[in-house]
Amino acid sequence: MERGLAEAGKLLQGLRSSFQSGDVASCQQHLGQLKIRMTQFPALPPLFQKTPTQKEELSLGREVLEYAVLLTVKKEDEAGFERQFLQLKPYYVDTRNSIPPSSREQLITGLNLLRLLVQNRISEFHTELELIPSAQHSSPFIRYAIELEQSLMEGAYQKVLNSRTNLPDQSYAFFVNLLLDTVRDEIAGCSEKAYDFLSLAEAKKMMLLKTDQEVADFAGMRDWDIKNGSIYFRKINEEAISKDIPSHQLITQTLGYARELERIV
Amino acid sequence: MAREVEMADAEKDAAPSATAPATAATVQPEDPEKAALADLTGAVSLIERSVEQKEPRFVTRALRQTAAAKKKITPKVLRNFAHTFPKQLEVGSVLTQALQSEPSSTQADGVPSTKDSVLPEVEIYGYLVGLVFFIDQKKIDVAKTVANLAIKRIQTYNRRTLDSIAARVYFYFSLAYERSNELNTIRATLLGLHRTATLRHDEIGQETLLNLLLRNYLHYNLYEQAEKLRAKTQRPETSSNQQLSRYLYYQGRIQAIQLEYTDAKECLLQALRKAPQSAKGFRIACTKWATIVRLLLGEIPERTTFIQPGLREALKPYFELTNAVRIGNLELFHDAAEKYGAVFQTDKTSNLIVRLRHNVIRTGLRRINLSYSRISLKDVGLKLGLEGTVEDIESIVTKAIRDGGIDATVDHAKGFVQSKETGDIYSTVEPQSAFHSRISFCLNTHNEAVKAMRYPPGSHKGDLETEEKRRERQQQEQDLAKQLAEDDEDEF
Repeated sequence: MERGLAEAGKLLQGLRSSFQSGDVASCQQHLGQLKIRMTQFPALPPLFQKTPTQKEELSLGREVLEYAVLLTVKKEDEAGFERQFLQLKPYYVDTRNSIPPSSREQLITGLNLLRLLVQNRISEFHTELELIPSAQHSSPFIRYAIELEQSLMEGAYQKVLNSRTNLPDQSYAFFVNLLLDTVRDEIAGCSEKAYDFLSLAEAKKMMLLKTDQEVADFAGMRDWDIKNGSIYFRKINEEAISKDIPSHQLITQTLGYARELERIV
Repeated sequence: MAREVEMADAEKDAAPSATAPATAATVQPEDPEKAALADLTGAVSLIERSVEQKEPRFVTRALRQTAAAKKKITPKVLRNFAHTFPKQLEVGSVLTQALQSEPSSTQADGVPSTKDSVLPEVEIYGYLVGLVFFIDQKKIDVAKTVANLAIKRIQTYNRRTLDSIAARVYFYFSLAYERSNELNTIRATLLGLHRTATLRHDEIGQETLLNLLLRNYLHYNLYEQAEKLRAKTQRPETSSNQQLSRYLYYQGRIQAIQLEYTDAKECLLQALRKAPQSAKGFRIACTKWATIVRLLLGEIPERTTFIQPGLREALKPYFELTNAVRIGNLELFHDAAEKYGAVFQTDKTSNLIVRLRHNVIRTGLRRINLSYSRISLKDVGLKLGLEGTVEDIESIVTKAIRDGGIDATVDHAKGFVQSKETGDIYSTVEPQSAFHSRISFCLNTHNEAVKAMRYPPGSHKGDLETEEKRRERQQQEQDLAKQLAEDDEDEF
């Protein structure tokens, strides 16, 4: 057991240095070996056995998985991130009383919150948020995610876009850039409803498109008309609503009433 | 945490009013200790009778009597009570040993029991009395040992007549661990017990344990696990009202966190309706959550919600919050949120309140939209107290338009919001669909009523009975109704 721990510690050293130097392949290799080692430690979740080296085992396991999570961000692998994070989560939730907190905890939970935002899993976002002690809400990493969610809900999209310039950590860039597409769609959806028309230059600025051609393509995709340098949003046949009689619906409803009345009388 | 406690307190307060006259009549008031002991032994004989006649009603009454006698129990009473158990059983010695630390303890003056055995129900009841006593005395460590031993004994029995007593033991077991802040250590035990209860069709045990487990998870904010457990567990049909209202409260909380506000509101209001008047703590907690959820749905709770007698003080923070949302004033909202931050923190609602900000903005926008036919974006920002650039405000307004919050158009080049004239609603299908939903509601009510009135076939034949028998039956029914009414009142 002791020896296994020492060897794993050595491997972790290797992982640290290759992570620092940004060597993804070597990180991957170290990780693979470490994970095999970790299967032999009985103090790790889900067993949580109280071995004499429990603390060392837990901190080692946690650090390995933290690197695994950060590595997936480097590789821009969303699904992998979710997998690794779920493995790491029990360490954060269940070992709070047995080992001192990790310095990377807030960074990584913040990243996870951001991932849930990008994937538009808002209810899970809030469930995760409840798990974070309120003392940590003021940490820049968590704060960032909370504020981002608020701006998204309110519709303050400019704030979302501006937040790209003051990232709390470089690793956040990956997810925030993914948000860009979501935000553009949102802005487009809102503009359709709120404006009668919009000049091309304004639209380009608002939707963060680079060239006029891109604007034209985007407008084509959304079925907008471009006339005299402005985009005209088609009001989705508002007039028609009152004139169309929903005959099918009316028939089913009336038949339903007839049937029910039959039963009463 | 406070809620369960207050519920237990309410139980204490409510019970004496119903049973006190009865006990006072039978027992001489001269020695309260003797009276308490008499209450306990009375409860024991009730339990014995219940097991003999297979009539669970008596157990309920026994438990109610215990609740009434709870305040009168002293170490001496408990010691004497412990002596009534046969020597072979652990329960007597456990209680006596647990009392060793009591400074005021005197030697028991009762005659040691000569019986060889007692019913398992009575044995567990002995543990229960001890457990309740130690929790009341704030001797949590002792209570925990007693609880553990009791659970161990319960696990060796498989008797349906034991269920309701066992359920009480589970409840106090969990309460003891909650007081010492070690709830997470008993999760596995509770899960095991719940499994056993389900397999044995122990309905009251299932309900109680499910609620305890939900409470356990929610105590640590483990909403995900709680929801998974809740969704995958089948609740027994016949349920006691108080367990049901607890369950609904927990369910409402989970759904509120997961943004299913409509369902959450339904659950919380239902829980509130089912909770008895005396469970004040529970009703306060429920009202708090219901208020927030309704605000998040864009509804404004009536003023009467906050001025109910007894709840007024506790609900003040929520009242101010509601006021801020109603007016749509961000500044007022932030003030209230900050002023009562600590309260919201302990109520675990602070994250929900952060979400409310969005609603405040919406209400404010709606008011502006109604009162101005045209207003510049800059003024909108000023009126709402929104910080940020004109672009921010513009996108907030456009999002509100898209979500159907307000009916307006934005002129980007000139920077103003133009409200739309409200069109003729009778030219749309809107009235028709509103009418339809009302009609289907009425038809539904009618159908339900018809269903409820239906009698099983052939049921009238049994009615042919002699005059004498009928009188007897009526008498019995009256007794039963009276009993049930009492039970309903006091069970909490």
